[in-house]
Amino acid sequence: MTDVERLFRTYNVALVRYLTRRLGDRDWAEEVAQETFVRALRQTSIQNERAWLFAVATNLVRDEARKDMRRRKHLALLAEEERDEIVEPEETTLERAQEAAMARKAVDGLAERDRLALLMREEGLDYNEIAEALQLSPGSVGTTLSRARRRLVESYEALQKSQEEREKNAAS
Amino acid sequence: MQHPDEGTIHSWLDGALSADEATRVETHVKECPQCAVTVAEARGFIAASSRILTALDNAPRGVIPAATPKKRVDPLVWRVAATVLVVAAGTLVVARNRGSNEQPADRVMVSRQQASVAARVPAAGGPAAVAVDQAMPKAVVGNASTIALSGKTGTSDSRFGIPARENNALEKRAMMPAGQAAAASEIAGAAAPTASTFAPSHVAGVVVTDSASEPEPLKLVGTPWRIGAKVTLYEVAPGDTVTLTESMPLALEQVVTGISSTSTAMQATSKSAAVPLKARVDTAAITSAADSQRAASAPPSAPAVSAPAPKSLPGMANTLHTVTWTDAVTGNALTLTGRMPKARLQEIKIRIERERAAAAAKKTP
Repeated sequence: MTDVERLFRTYNVALVRYLTRRLGDRDWAEEVAQETFVRALRQTSIQNERAWLFAVATNLVRDEARKDMRRRKHLALLAEEERDEIVEPEETTLERAQEAAMARKAVDGLAERDRLALLMREEGLDYNEIAEALQLSPGSVGTTLSRARRRLVESYEALQKSQEEREKNAAS
Repeated sequence: MQHPDEGTIHSWLDGALSADEATRVETHVKECPQCAVTVAEARGFIAASSRILTALDNAPRGVIPAATPKKRVDPLVWRVAATVLVVAAGTLVVARNRGSNEQPADRVMVSRQQASVAARVPAAGGPAAVAVDQAMPKAVVGNASTIALSGKTGTSDSRFGIPARENNALEKRAMMPAGQAAAASEIAGAAAPTASTFAPSHVAGVVVTDSASEPEPLKLVGTPWRIGAKVTLYEVAPGDTVTLTESMPLALEQVVTGISSTSTAMQATSKSAAVPLKARVDTAAITSAADSQRAASAPPSAPAVSAPAPKSLPGMANTLHTVTWTDAVTGNALTLTGRMPKARLQEIKIRIERERAAAAAKKTP
């Protein structure tokens, strides 16, 4: 097994999940993850593999997002249209879709650094790895994470509340 | 110690503090109710944010529509299909007996015999027998393909004048549908190699034999294979050839004895087990019905298992016509070409389309 194969097997799942949560698009996430491993292939040595992979993936997203913003928006619109045509058959699916939409909104509302730190932490990166990947001082990671968590939860709860109110109004 | 800030509490809960720091925070939190509240809150935030982030994992896959999962066919569908097969066979025998006064008596006999074969054959087929009687999916699949495709019968060559060469070809191909049928039944979760293996050898080629019993046998001219497309050539009457070309992404080995849609039906089968038997039966019907649209004894709407076979009409249009369309389900381009009135080709095409749509409708709930 080559080094990249080992890297892939060890980190791909976490990296794709991180990117999916970050981007809201699984295909895109997989693309970026693959590109990240391709970049790893070109490296002679990597000090902290996990921190390096997450940092590169994060940068790739940032670069690509900048570059392809317009194209992505267009495709997202198309995807939206496509989704509209799909009939959600089950209520549970609808509920889950609503939850996902609210979660997306809440996560998108976070500051970039908070969001990334939180998503990395969720993938098991320790404070030093997060600091390395995001170029933060290790001492500020705790503060970043505590802020990110609080804001995420509060914003999600607010969305939930307004959703419930909408449903109540619709029912009455 | 002064109260640790929120960041420190999160660091402590995340296990990111040094042993010394962790001990200090722990000691303080035990004594300070205010900080205990902050810690409890922080735990709540950690758990809740994890849960929220989990909701993001069912992210859509970009703009590429996800493939619809293959759905297992309700056994009821097969039961109904089997019933349709048996009833259709019986109905046809009756219809033909009534409406075929001009036909030689022995041919009516043949039809009757064939119909009874259709109903009874499974009895000779061991496992298949039970299966069709109980309308089990596996046997239906096996028999359906056989009925549609096999020309394999010892008596049919000499009796109905299928040239030996053709019959060999048919026979050879008849084995392939069995395999495909087995594949189909595997998809359906009910693999029945026995049923489908037995079927070709026991079912006397109902359709092909029937067509062959006519003065103008449906003659397989050739099936030139092409990667990415299926081409089937038939001589339905002297100088009356029909060609079906199906451009397909899957290079499946196709077995075709019908003018056209046997292949389409088979392909649909390979994609999903949801192809109803009726589609196959009608498909088979097209084989002969295509050549007997004018035969009054075959009700056009009836799923004719063995419609009266072709008669070449003296005034038949001799120009080559083509009907091209795209299959809505598979996206394959289908081209039907034949020296016959376009209306007739259209009729064939419409039937193919209808069957494919029905198959697709059953596939997607």
